[in-house]
Amino acid sequence: MNDIIIAILRSSTPLIYVTLAGVIAQRAGVWNLGLEGIMIIGSCSLIIGIIVTNSFTAAILIAIAICVLASVLLWLVIEKLKANPIIAGLGMTGLGLGGTALAAESIFGSQATISAPFGVPKLGPAFGAYGVLSIFVFAMPFVVLGMWILLRRTRFGLRLAACGEHPFAARSVGANPDRMRLVALAIGGVLCAIGGAELAGGSLQFFAQGMTSGRGFMAFAAVIFGAAHPIGATFAALFFATVGALGIRAQLMFGDKVPHDLLQALPYLVTIFGVWLSGKLRGGTKAAGAFAELKDQ
Amino acid sequence: MRDRFLYILRSLVFVVFALVLCALVFQLAGYNAPLMLASVIDGAFLRPGAIEQSLRWALPLFITAAGVGISFRAGFFNIGAQGQFYVGAIFAAFAAEWLKGNPAFIVIPVCFLAGMTGGALWALWPGLLKLRSGTDEVITTLMGNFLASLLLVYVTSGPLKDPSGSGQQASSRPLAAAYRISDSLGLSPTIIIIAVLVGITTWLLVNRTAFGVLASLSGRNATMVQWQGAKLWQLGLSSFLISGALAGLAGTIELMGPNGRIASGFLPTHGFTAILITLVANLSVVGTAVAAVFFGGLASAALYLPIMVGLPASAVDIINAAIALFITAKSGFVDKLLTLGGRSK
Repeated sequence: MNDIIIAILRSSTPLIYVTLAGVIAQRAGVWNLGLEGIMIIGSCSLIIGIIVTNSFTAAILIAIAICVLASVLLWLVIEKLKANPIIAGLGMTGLGLGGTALAAESIFGSQATISAPFGVPKLGPAFGAYGVLSIFVFAMPFVVLGMWILLRRTRFGLRLAACGEHPFAARSVGANPDRMRLVALAIGGVLCAIGGAELAGGSLQFFAQGMTSGRGFMAFAAVIFGAAHPIGATFAALFFATVGALGIRAQLMFGDKVPHDLLQALPYLVTIFGVWLSGKLRGGTKAAGAFAELKDQ
Repeated sequence: MRDRFLYILRSLVFVVFALVLCALVFQLAGYNAPLMLASVIDGAFLRPGAIEQSLRWALPLFITAAGVGISFRAGFFNIGAQGQFYVGAIFAAFAAEWLKGNPAFIVIPVCFLAGMTGGALWALWPGLLKLRSGTDEVITTLMGNFLASLLLVYVTSGPLKDPSGSGQQASSRPLAAAYRISDSLGLSPTIIIIAVLVGITTWLLVNRTAFGVLASLSGRNATMVQWQGAKLWQLGLSSFLISGALAGLAGTIELMGPNGRIASGFLPTHGFTAILITLVANLSVVGTAVAAVFFGGLASAALYLPIMVGLPASAVDIINAAIALFITAKSGFVDKLLTLGGRSK
């Protein structure tokens, strides 16, 4: 039983951090499809940071700094240059995936993976069987709770929601939607860095090209499924990750009886199901600005 | 007319801006950026045979992009072109496998039909989910891309596996030479004719039929079109199906033309580049053709980069991503700059 819980915690923690980044962006009114790219930037810079500085603290600070920078770039393009958030987000994802591949190749030559000597610090033997988990797993429930308090119980969180839902009204009471979105995306950058770091350094200690394999998009789907509520979205992410972890277990247990690729497809299928269900329950989501607007310029 | 001219200029400004930004980054990363830009232009258009190579990449991209444009016009963010492209290629490969031994004039058309059906089917379910339950198509089509690439892995390492293939990348058994519509260089009269036909048909469809006009209007103001008595449901689903079918057609061309087989993870950025092309062209069909040649040039130049500058071919993916980041920007500053330039003329 313990090892199943450990497997679920391991696979869900990176997803939950990135989902929280999506939640805060969504509340501020930004459809953040750049999560995937910013997350993999976090993974790559943590591993390279560990190799270069030989210190976990320095590496995670570097990862956070780079991810916040990437988020600010996305904010600049969406808010200041008025780009379409979906396309700009996909562009950021492409930059993240391509940029990390290029960085890995130009620093370490063409290698499939880059291994670090150590990863994120572990909880240690005091936690018994759970000692193999990283400190980020331990911190995750507190971060979720903190995010809930920030978004639902503080003046900042309510203003943020107002900026997302009705920027004009928010502006009329003195809130600055532009600046609020900058803060939201920057906090999202920190969370993506931690999520990416946990993915690469939590149990694996290596970076591989494209290792996020759609987790950022799944996190975005969890935001939609969870109606941008921090706890709802966390449970959605937990659900997606649990199905993925059980799929891997089923693969180990049943071996050849179930097609391997079908099990790999499970998280994506569950994500589609989740988004379909949330559309059924709450009505469809409205995409931020249609492409047809482009025609009218 | 003037507005359209302005839009083209703005597209160009942001494309050039993205290129310069990438060059700066590559320079900082220790590569020779001016040499890189020079070899991109050389590899895309100047080198002997380069234009043919650029067209080889441009034509399938144009076909997919024309389809993407149709769904964007109708107001649907169908970003699943990659998955529809893969499923189209898979369907066509199965058709070719089953009809093996029959004369080419039967096999080739059936393969094309199968490919277009496959692409359309892969666009059908996100379309149905969107129109019936309001499920957001951005996420479903994205997930569809991941599912399609898993399907491709399954097909190429299972039912269509080439037993003689090397272990690195699973691929299907190669098509018989009689069924190929081009050699491996990938430019033949057949492909050019198909691309031209697709171009003319989509242009007519978009600009000269009730469907095209209503679909464009419904992308802008769905309620109004509904009050006019048009069936939104039909318009929406048809635009999903057409965009999927065209992506599937491009997949079929890649299978039966230059590649001759399908391999797991082949051309992984085709769909994304096609979306970019549509956006750079501001959804116009003629513009799509021009932009396709530019991005086809980039794709063909990507093959020279490792030799010329030592940059990995993925550098072009970064350039494309940077263009995507900026292409929809509507900066007031750039507009002012452009109109000032226009006034002084």
